[in-house]
Amino acid sequence: MEETISLRELFETLKKRLSLILVITLLAAAVSGAISYFVLKPVYKSSSQILVSQSAAGSLASIAGISLDDDAKYIETYNVILKSPYILDQVIKELKMDTTPEQLNGSVSVTQEGASQVVTISVTNNDPAEAVRIANEIAEVFQREIAQLMRIDNITILSEAELAENPAPVKPEPLLNIAIAIVVGLMAGVGLAFLLEYLDNTIKSEQDIEKLLELPVLGVVTKITPNEETESSSVSVQKKAI
Amino acid sequence: MFGKKKKNEQPLNRTLITHTDPRSPIAEQYKTIRTNIEFSSVSESIRSIVVTSSGPAEGKSTTVSNLAVVFAQQGKKVLLIDADLRKPTAHYTFRKDNRVGLTNVLTKQMELSKVVSRTDIENLYLLTSGPIPPNPAELLGSKAMGELLDGAFQSFDMVLFDTPPVLAVTDAPILASKCDGTILVVHSNQTATEAAKKAKELLMAAQAKIIGSVLNDKQQKESHYYYYYGK
Repeated sequence: MEETISLRELFETLKKRLSLILVITLLAAAVSGAISYFVLKPVYKSSSQILVSQSAAGSLASIAGISLDDDAKYIETYNVILKSPYILDQVIKELKMDTTPEQLNGSVSVTQEGASQVVTISVTNNDPAEAVRIANEIAEVFQREIAQLMRIDNITILSEAELAENPAPVKPEPLLNIAIAIVVGLMAGVGLAFLLEYLDNTIKSEQDIEKLLELPVLGVVTKITPNEETESSSVSVQKKAI
Repeated sequence: MFGKKKKNEQPLNRTLITHTDPRSPIAEQYKTIRTNIEFSSVSESIRSIVVTSSGPAEGKSTTVSNLAVVFAQQGKKVLLIDADLRKPTAHYTFRKDNRVGLTNVLTKQMELSKVVSRTDIENLYLLTSGPIPPNPAELLGSKAMGELLDGAFQSFDMVLFDTPPVLAVTDAPILASKCDGTILVVHSNQTATEAAKKAKELLMAAQAKIIGSVLNDKQQKESHYYYYYGK
């Protein structure tokens, strides 16, 4: 059975199942919205910043005359140290938290602000106050420990994390989730529409009969609507003419 | 809302639109079918037609009664026979009694002329099914059936048969082999391609002469055209 798919047939299919597609899309959007607002726990984010200054007197770097450029390498090292269990263990101990360094590691992200010597420590947590405490504690512990570890004291806490009055959660983002759900729902709806069309093997038009049954079509009778049964045709003529 | 539902609950209350509203677009469509039947045979005129379909509820009875009406409107003397001996409906459509009918004639209990009843439509006569027999296929295939047809041709110009679905029982192919023509009713959006093909095969195997098919219950789309024309 050779079938040529014409653009018009595709549009016809979509038009026929438009309600199905819309229902699926709206349903997906509603479910996604409900989950985002009622099921998912909001996650708050808090950041503290530390400044890695030019090496202090007595440090190895200044002896060797390492330029500003090489501070970047230090910062990379610091980033790794910041997230190491060595630091995080102490943070957990001092804050008396009920978590493992690995878990904490997942909620901490360390980023260097461009090519600057400022490093931002971001912490995400379900409790905004907790996020602030952890971010500040990591900065403090790091500042204290780095002096021992590398025998340099070039860390300054630039800005502490602060608890905003009305902390806004960074996750979930309901609007984004709904938008994604709409796109996915639309795709699923269109897919289902075409699937149903493909599975529907009923005869629909005169062409189908001639092609599939190879029988002449003597005539086509359209649907007898209740309107036409009860009212005379002249009434329906007037209606259609308007 | 409720009014609509109520109407849908009465499937047996067929309206003979060709009779009640002979100028409606749908009546015109039945007249087109009539014309096509008349032109479908060149050498011999078609005087007996079997209307059937692959499955149940595809519009056989509606089609056959409306066709009978449009043939009668043409001035032909038409006999409509309800040969659906399993689920007869013609007596509902024409609001007739079904105490005696086709089965009485086939079992030689009564004469054809005694059982045929007049309808409200001029030139249209009806032979209801009669009591439902235990062996419809045998009755329809019997010699008495041929005799009935011969008798009918003496007083009628056209004999139309309403039959059970082809795929369910073998009645329709048996009857189709005895008649001049067979019409296969196809219900748009309901008849499956495979079922229609199988029905055609069964009819062909029974030596039925299929005149063609009627596509029933098609969704109305560009119907405005019909309304404007001739009004």
